[in-house]
Amino acid sequence: MRIVVIGHGMVGSRFAQDAAARVPGAHVTVLGREDTAPYNRVLLSSVVAGKQDADGIALVGPDVEGVDVHQGVSAVEIDRSRRLVTASDGSVHRYDRLVLATGSAARIPQIQHVANPDGLVHGVSVLKDLADARGILEALPKARRAVVLGAGVLGLEVATGLAARGLAVTLVHHADRLMERQLGSSASQVAVDSLARLGMTVVTQSSVVRVMERRGHVSGVELANGSEILTDLLVMCAGTIPETALARRAGLPCERGVVVGEDLASPADPAVFAIGDCAQPPEGGTGLVAQGWDQARRLVDAWAGAGAAPRDDAAGTDRTNVVRVKASGLEVVTMGLSGKFEHGDRLLRAVRISDPAVGRFVEVVVHEGRLVGATVVGDKITATELQALYTRGLPVPTDPAHLIVRPIAGAAPAVRSAKDMQDDDTVCQCNTVSKGRINDAIADGCGSVEDVSRATRACTGCGDCRSLVKEMLATAASGTKVPALAGTGEA
Amino acid sequence: MTRPVPTHCPYCALQCAQTLTPAAGRIPVTVEGREFPTNRGGLCQKGWTSPEVLRAADRLTVPLLRTADGGFREAGWDEALDLVASRVATLQAESGDDAVAVFGGGGLTNEKAYALGKFARLALHTRLIDYNGRFCMSSAAAASNRSLGMDRGLAFPLSDLGGADAVLILGSNMGVTMPPFVQHLAGVRSRGGLVVVDPRQTVTAKLARDGAGIHLAPVPGSDMVVLLALLHIVLAEGLHDVAYLADRAEGLDEVRRSVAQWWPERAEAATGIPADTLREVARLLAAASPSRGGRGAYILTGRGIEQMAQGTDCVSAAINLALALGLIGRHGSGFGPVTGQGNGQGGREHGQKSDQLPGYRMITDPAARAHVAGVWGVDPDTIPGPGVPAVQLLTSLGTSGGPRALLVHGSNVVVSAPNATRVEERLRALDLLVVCDIVPSETAMLADVILPVTQWAEEEGTMTNLEGRIIRRRRAVDAPGEARSELWILRELAARLGCTALFSEDPEVMFDEMARASAGGKADYSGVTYARLDAGEELFWPVPVATPGTAAHPGTPRPFLETFPTPSGRARMIAVSHRGPADDVRPGATTYLVTGRVLQHYQSGAQTRRVEELAQAQPEAFVEMHPLLAERLGIAAGEVAILTSARGEAMAPVRLTADIRPDTVFMPFHWAGAGSANRLTNDATDPTSAMPEFKVTAVEIRATRLDEAAVREGALR
Repeated sequence: MRIVVIGHGMVGSRFAQDAAARVPGAHVTVLGREDTAPYNRVLLSSVVAGKQDADGIALVGPDVEGVDVHQGVSAVEIDRSRRLVTASDGSVHRYDRLVLATGSAARIPQIQHVANPDGLVHGVSVLKDLADARGILEALPKARRAVVLGAGVLGLEVATGLAARGLAVTLVHHADRLMERQLGSSASQVAVDSLARLGMTVVTQSSVVRVMERRGHVSGVELANGSEILTDLLVMCAGTIPETALARRAGLPCERGVVVGEDLASPADPAVFAIGDCAQPPEGGTGLVAQGWDQARRLVDAWAGAGAAPRDDAAGTDRTNVVRVKASGLEVVTMGLSGKFEHGDRLLRAVRISDPAVGRFVEVVVHEGRLVGATVVGDKITATELQALYTRGLPVPTDPAHLIVRPIAGAAPAVRSAKDMQDDDTVCQCNTVSKGRINDAIADGCGSVEDVSRATRACTGCGDCRSLVKEMLATAASGTKVPALAGTGEA
Repeated sequence: MTRPVPTHCPYCALQCAQTLTPAAGRIPVTVEGREFPTNRGGLCQKGWTSPEVLRAADRLTVPLLRTADGGFREAGWDEALDLVASRVATLQAESGDDAVAVFGGGGLTNEKAYALGKFARLALHTRLIDYNGRFCMSSAAAASNRSLGMDRGLAFPLSDLGGADAVLILGSNMGVTMPPFVQHLAGVRSRGGLVVVDPRQTVTAKLARDGAGIHLAPVPGSDMVVLLALLHIVLAEGLHDVAYLADRAEGLDEVRRSVAQWWPERAEAATGIPADTLREVARLLAAASPSRGGRGAYILTGRGIEQMAQGTDCVSAAINLALALGLIGRHGSGFGPVTGQGNGQGGREHGQKSDQLPGYRMITDPAARAHVAGVWGVDPDTIPGPGVPAVQLLTSLGTSGGPRALLVHGSNVVVSAPNATRVEERLRALDLLVVCDIVPSETAMLADVILPVTQWAEEEGTMTNLEGRIIRRRRAVDAPGEARSELWILRELAARLGCTALFSEDPEVMFDEMARASAGGKADYSGVTYARLDAGEELFWPVPVATPGTAAHPGTPRPFLETFPTPSGRARMIAVSHRGPADDVRPGATTYLVTGRVLQHYQSGAQTRRVEELAQAQPEAFVEMHPLLAERLGIAAGEVAILTSARGEAMAPVRLTADIRPDTVFMPFHWAGAGSANRLTNDATDPTSAMPEFKVTAVEIRATRLDEAAVREGALR
């Protein structure tokens, strides 16, 4: 089976490798527009933040057994009737199955003077590929101030990353709250407070309307309310647009993305599939790589004849839908139902802690004993536990409140005092020796740890209870002045 | 015989040094801990009570033969051995040499393990031999071999751990399984560098409390992601040892690309460990590493990450991390799997494994076959080819074309193998089951012939401990009744089967031949003699024989200091990917089951369940469960829960503890019958090592509303 994959990003490269490895008789050809090995786009913001070396984000490929990768070659035309793809280098590729993994492009908002005939004004950038990241890194040494437009996940990661590098950052966002698709007002306010603590200025319900430049370089921006902000950098994180141009030209139905069914095939052509950011599946695209990787896995499973695991659980919850902001000093994680969601006919149970004074907001949403949504700001342990639970779709405790409140447990110190122990508590775990037995041995005349060990075997395993036995010996010695050999039956 | 005898404990791979003193009374010896570099005089409760096993109430003292009515009758040795030999001969005449298979154990001495492998190949002419070490060290062995060129367990003396700034322990609970080991962690705990990865807050994990280190409790089956993410962070933050990697390792580029997909925030959802905690651990390990001025760091693995269908790759991920930090082959740092069974190390070196010949040689290697055949005095072509690994072997028993007879030595597979119900079925389907044992274990009770054998205090021999140190086992008392050494039994059977190769009852004779057979192999014992060991020399293999006129080889406490025994002399980093458990949680099986040991019992419990003091402290199987899970299931402490997996059902009373993840339950695997954890576990195996996936099983749990007494009275029927 000849499989042609268009796009060699995170999803396309993963799919190509898995298909070559698992689909019997597969010949996989990949056309990749970028002239680089596939890399981890999710980490671009970490590169900008200086937490990740730019050379270290390359993913496995292009030299993978069974995969023929054409790097720096884009697809220019799909001929569906003859099942041919023509590439920018003139080569023609025949397919039995075609997989579109063309990804998405950064949305560039309408801003006066944002670009000149050569492209974006110097100092103005999006962050969609490695070249963008390198451009921002090059501009950093001379930059003291930055404006980040858009407070979605990427905008928050870029803003906190630049702030951590010491830049004065202004974050401009069109909606009245941050990550408005994921966060409600209370959660957003807690996040805004966190950003303020990091020294950032946050301007909501506004936008950048004009770029001011000086000697060909951005020098400031004007906001919708007329105020002007001086800046050396403008990073636009205003969302993405699925890359559908090729699919549209081929006559495939496209809306926001390339329309596909539950089976990830185009309703117009059973030989054409779309996965990742370019696809618009029935449940909608989330723009998360986890969704794209899950789609890649499902497609390979189906073609390899593996029993297709159900994507959703009974509640129709997308278990890949976890949004996790990677930012130091700002903990925001949402999954499934979060922010302002519709309850519909379902009997949803929601439990919430709103605790802005300490920078914490937690909400969990439970349906029929399963976690179907959560919002966590400022509580990384709860966020982590909820993610592990949500992605696996496991049952939750009878009372969902237990998901967000942890008892003060497990805090008992390792080295307890013997005074706090009962007679039948075990002092020596290795030999199952109780406090009572040790006290009996001491009463019987044991005056040293070695004596106690000989009499009871305590302290003869790992030796960790030595200090407890010493304490008991000291207590006995300083306590009641009973003769050491009292009780041994001498009298 | 009244003088004190220096020997080692019968149980785990730490092989604590003991002194046995013959005594009058019911128990023929008394035991004391003996000063030794590993246990430093310490013993756990199992070691202290080990003499009880010598006089277990139902100790086997005469051969037993199955009777027509399903019982057993006593028999003389000649009758029993004649019967075994003639049945073997008949079955092989009917169905070919592979109609007879052998199953060995990681508790057998080096001499017995060697003799058993030789017996299978030369006396039985069968390909089919494997052993319970397949369930123990096979993943660690496979990963060590492919990356480091050698599997020496810990590639350093245990006492080296004391100087480290960091020790990362994954899937090992040595605080319970080998308590005297913990003494070697005192130094690293005092410096705050102990990191324990375990889904439970085990005794070992608790050693990291109070500033002694960090405990990570990943979702079962996700340990590998922890390792991949740690390496991701090390590389992303430039914490790796660039000079070491350039000089001593290869494969970094591919590994770097493979871990690029495990950024810490992604690992968070997969493992249940916060990204920042992973960063903290990666930085702690890096700071302890020699390239960054630390005193050294160690990475130790245990069955928790090895007994997985991706176990070999898990260990490779650990080795990759150790290599990136420049730890392996450096004094004061290192990597090592913590061997489990008493002779788990030596047992995997001398020919019990389906594909191996003595000296860790591959049975498919013509040069290895020629060398060993030369020592055995046979034509290389008479040595059979490779057999099949344990699970495959057990599954094929009594099937059409499968083995019709099985000889079991030092293993209680009915309790210790995965999918135990099926194992029992297969054993019952055999025409002939011969079990050598010291007590009537659950497996022995299914046998047609039970042969009573000697145990540790009744025999001479050698063991190889978790450090690769060769130590002497010595006889302090005579075996009761007619119990005989397996070396004698193999000699007698070989003679009856017409095999003229050397089989001696004298362990030293077998050892000397084994040493020659191992000469030039990876596990080279050729320079080791009883005399050297008895003189107190500390010998870690390889110990090649010295050429005449030169000084004896001093052994190799720390291999890899100069080079790796790989073709290039460098260690190989191997890109691995996380596939997840074969039997993952899903609707209808929503809880993870993990299994392990309790301090008082060893393996299948055949020995320890017969020691009253141990049985009293831990009398029965149990299910450890978080109160939140119990509350959801409607189970109170002490009530019996029924666990169901895709393979079977088990039931045991519930113990509540906050020391376990609410999505996970724990069962110890020491019991047979209804409380047998291995009726639930998965026999899916690792593609490289054939290790079964004991450590992650998806189960559904239901309440019975009954306490254990009610269940015993049959209230469930």
